[in-house]
Amino acid sequence: MPDRHCKQIFAMLSEYLDEQLPVKNCRELERHLKGCAPCIAYLESLKTTVEACRGYKAPRAPAPSREVKAALLAAIQRSHRRQ
Amino acid sequence: MNSHVEQALASLKSGNPEDVERALETLQEVVYGFGMKVCGVREDAEDTAQETLIRLARQLKDFPDARALAVWLYKVAKTQCLMSRRKSKFAPAQMLSLDALMPKESDAAAPGVKSWEVTPEEILLNKELRSKLKDAVLALPKHYRLVLILRDMEQLDTREVAEVMGISEETTKMRLHRARVFLRNALAGYVRRAEMPEAKTHA
Repeated sequence: MPDRHCKQIFAMLSEYLDEQLPVKNCRELERHLKGCAPCIAYLESLKTTVEACRGYKAPRAPAPSREVKAALLAAIQRSHRRQ
Repeated sequence: MNSHVEQALASLKSGNPEDVERALETLQEVVYGFGMKVCGVREDAEDTAQETLIRLARQLKDFPDARALAVWLYKVAKTQCLMSRRKSKFAPAQMLSLDALMPKESDAAAPGVKSWEVTPEEILLNKELRSKLKDAVLALPKHYRLVLILRDMEQLDTREVAEVMGISEETTKMRLHRARVFLRNALAGYVRRAEMPEAKTHA
């Protein structure tokens, strides 16, 4: 059986990282973290994962097709004429 | 909100052909990048970008702000991604249970593997780890994958993600947490695991 309190804390870690946890829960979580090295370590590893996602870049896109360029330019011109 | 979309909207509004072209290139990068992260296949990402931007041209309206444009773009791109599944590998829709995701005591560190003291930069610079991160994202069930990509990679806020996905903010947060834990656990096979919360009372 997992530690019940650790389990409750585990469910709140993302909201804590995003600073979206209600104050009351935030205090409870921080109190728990003070005495729970494994939860601190897990939180740190989750934070690293999130930061890696934030830095992840997709490969460069190819240039937009001529069709898209022409369609967008025409639409912009139409919209400017209407104004 | 994606700052590139903000710049693009300003350029689109100028009406100057050169600025419009620059805006188009920016939006192409944004939508293609999103498509690559969601579909993992170049052809699908190209189709997503093409179809989304053609729709933008056809339905060009006066977006009140960059936020409205970003939400609209991601909503349309998301639908395109889900439709262009002929090459992409979408994991079957399933629920991720938090209980099942909570690491087990038996997930002990493999000897000799890199420590979790690894930095985000090291993950991104290490070809193998970056590839594992990409594979783990693609292994996520689609509704979790989309939320994670929108929130953590495209950096939309919770409300914007909820709007793009057509779900509540609470559901967004729930899916995001499970998706992050799924990724963290997937990477843990390659970096030494932190001592798990469960281990405190059972070590």
